[in-house]
Amino acid sequence: MKVKSTLCAIIVLLACLFCGAASAADTIKIGVLAPITGFAASDGFSTIESIKLAQEKVNAAGGVLGKQIEVVYYDDAADPKQAVPLANKLITQDKVVAFVAGSYSMPSRAVAPIFDEEEIPLVAAYALHPEITNGDYTFRNGFLGTTEGRVAAYTALELFKAKTVALVTSDNDFGQTLKDGFVGYLKSVGREKDLILQQTYPSSEKDFAVYLSKIKDAAPDVVFFSGYYFQTAPALKQAKEMGIENIRFIGEQGSDSPKMAEIALDAAEGFVILTNLDRDDKRPFVQEFLKSYRDRHNIEPDMVGASAYDAFMIIVDAIKTAGGTDGKAIRDAIAATKNYDGLTGVINGFDAAGEVLKPVQLQEIKEGKFRYFGIVTDSELIKP
Amino acid sequence: MQLFFEQLLNGLAIGSIYALITLGLALVYGILRILHVAHAAVYTVGAYVGLAIYSHTSTLLLAIPGSMVVCALIGVAIERLVYFPLLKYPPYVPLISSIALFLSLEELCRIIAGPELLTFPAALPFPSFSAGGVRVSGTLVAVYVVTALVLAILWFITSKTEFGLAMRAASQDMDVASSLGVDSRRVVDAMFAIGSAIASIAGILVAIYYNQVYSTMGTMPAYKTLALIVVGGMGSVPGAVVASILLGLGETLLIGFANIPMPRDALAFIAMIIVLMWKPAGLLGRG
Repeated sequence: MKVKSTLCAIIVLLACLFCGAASAADTIKIGVLAPITGFAASDGFSTIESIKLAQEKVNAAGGVLGKQIEVVYYDDAADPKQAVPLANKLITQDKVVAFVAGSYSMPSRAVAPIFDEEEIPLVAAYALHPEITNGDYTFRNGFLGTTEGRVAAYTALELFKAKTVALVTSDNDFGQTLKDGFVGYLKSVGREKDLILQQTYPSSEKDFAVYLSKIKDAAPDVVFFSGYYFQTAPALKQAKEMGIENIRFIGEQGSDSPKMAEIALDAAEGFVILTNLDRDDKRPFVQEFLKSYRDRHNIEPDMVGASAYDAFMIIVDAIKTAGGTDGKAIRDAIAATKNYDGLTGVINGFDAAGEVLKPVQLQEIKEGKFRYFGIVTDSELIKP
Repeated sequence: MQLFFEQLLNGLAIGSIYALITLGLALVYGILRILHVAHAAVYTVGAYVGLAIYSHTSTLLLAIPGSMVVCALIGVAIERLVYFPLLKYPPYVPLISSIALFLSLEELCRIIAGPELLTFPAALPFPSFSAGGVRVSGTLVAVYVVTALVLAILWFITSKTEFGLAMRAASQDMDVASSLGVDSRRVVDAMFAIGSAIASIAGILVAIYYNQVYSTMGTMPAYKTLALIVVGGMGSVPGAVVASILLGLGETLLIGFANIPMPRDALAFIAMIIVLMWKPAGLLGRG
């Protein structure tokens, strides 16, 4: 009798578990890893909160294929060692059908082959390492360093009419690709001699006074100063204190943060960055996103969040097109993306390697906020 | 030539900041022979406390002394609750507990203040000036003046007061000093209080200089100051100051003119190895 009742209990328990699994199958699960804690925590916050806005929008409109979208996200602290087991968890336990790599290059690079192996499509939101897109199922919604470097050189020479330029990059692989793109463009227009100062700094650098003194001495018209906002912002502040005037500073996505003007204060005015998100984009859904984000969190949205939003939406759109959650079908639908109306501009599509084709936005800091400065659409410049 | 002088000034500022952080470590090593790694966490706490007071009162005249008092108390608490009970064990025991303390205090800062980088938008009220085409910004002047002031006060205390005499006696031999009537416990307390208060000044200065306060700002100083007290001569306060200034100048001139993208921190350890090979007691070390 006792054995029987125990068996009954087990059967009931199993049935419940099965029901649980069945009800979970009524949603479509998309996985996300983001650095919610650690040094990159503000980027993780931006990633997750922006994806939540996208998810709410999709689900409010009835979901996809008659099902609600469920976002399963974990914190990888931008650490590859934490990211790998979480990726396996997303695959085997949560059974996600697609994945948004919402973290930095190192963890994204570590997990990309795992998803690729399992034929689960991956879209990297903003991570820049070239190898992330090595697989068949891997895509990227951000720009490669070569693209940004090339557009930066074009911006300096053509938009600012610089007679002389300087280049400051970090000594990591991202810095190297920026340099390749920048110098490559100068060579292609026969102006490499106008690069009067080229400086690399160790990626852990905190104090830029020594480099700024060299820039001040070389006195170029424009300096492409790459780095994270916690590096470029204090550098701009120091530059102003050192009396550097009449030299235009341009930066890249690493400086796309509301903290930029908060740290550099009025020294940030006139700083132009190459990025993904145009805050003055006239399209209503972009303004709606910006407004909801500001209302909800009382901070400025940034390119990290917008890129993650788009990466998520590209996947949702592909699931819709594919008409199912088969990995191969979603992958093909992402690869076939054409003129997708994204938050980060109209996405022309992806090239064979999985790199995005879309315009590069130029934003300038005015009165402490990023505003429209220009847009680069020339396909020769924005190619990966 | 103008560029050379500018770089010299940049290096001097970096060296001054190193000196302010290293002072406390040298004081503590001099008397207890403990590598006080957690000192770098006191520096971080100093920046946070300074910012907290500043954001409520909008004046550095309250933020700096307030933070100095809080950090002095933390320093004394660390000494009494952690180091003193461990003094009877081999030196690696207090060292390991110091590392644990450092990591815990860093995490505590992150938990209380949040993971976000904060800004410290206070102006340092010092004028900038130009001489012969070389411009010295107000912030650089502030760094020089504050460092010079701290060093002068410390020099006065250690060499011109009776208390300083007790400090020097205790750091030579605590037992003998005690038997001659020096209250060693009180001297040790005072050393920690002074060193920690100076660390809080350094924390606030750096926070305003870069306009950033974050929980891991002590990571680099935590190990770099160790190299500096070794180079200076274990426990020698003037040695630590000389080593700090030399390193600040050295790394700035090397990066500025040799164009090697080598992490500054690596240079500190290379300097440490060279000094140890050439002069094992350090630049101004005894014995």
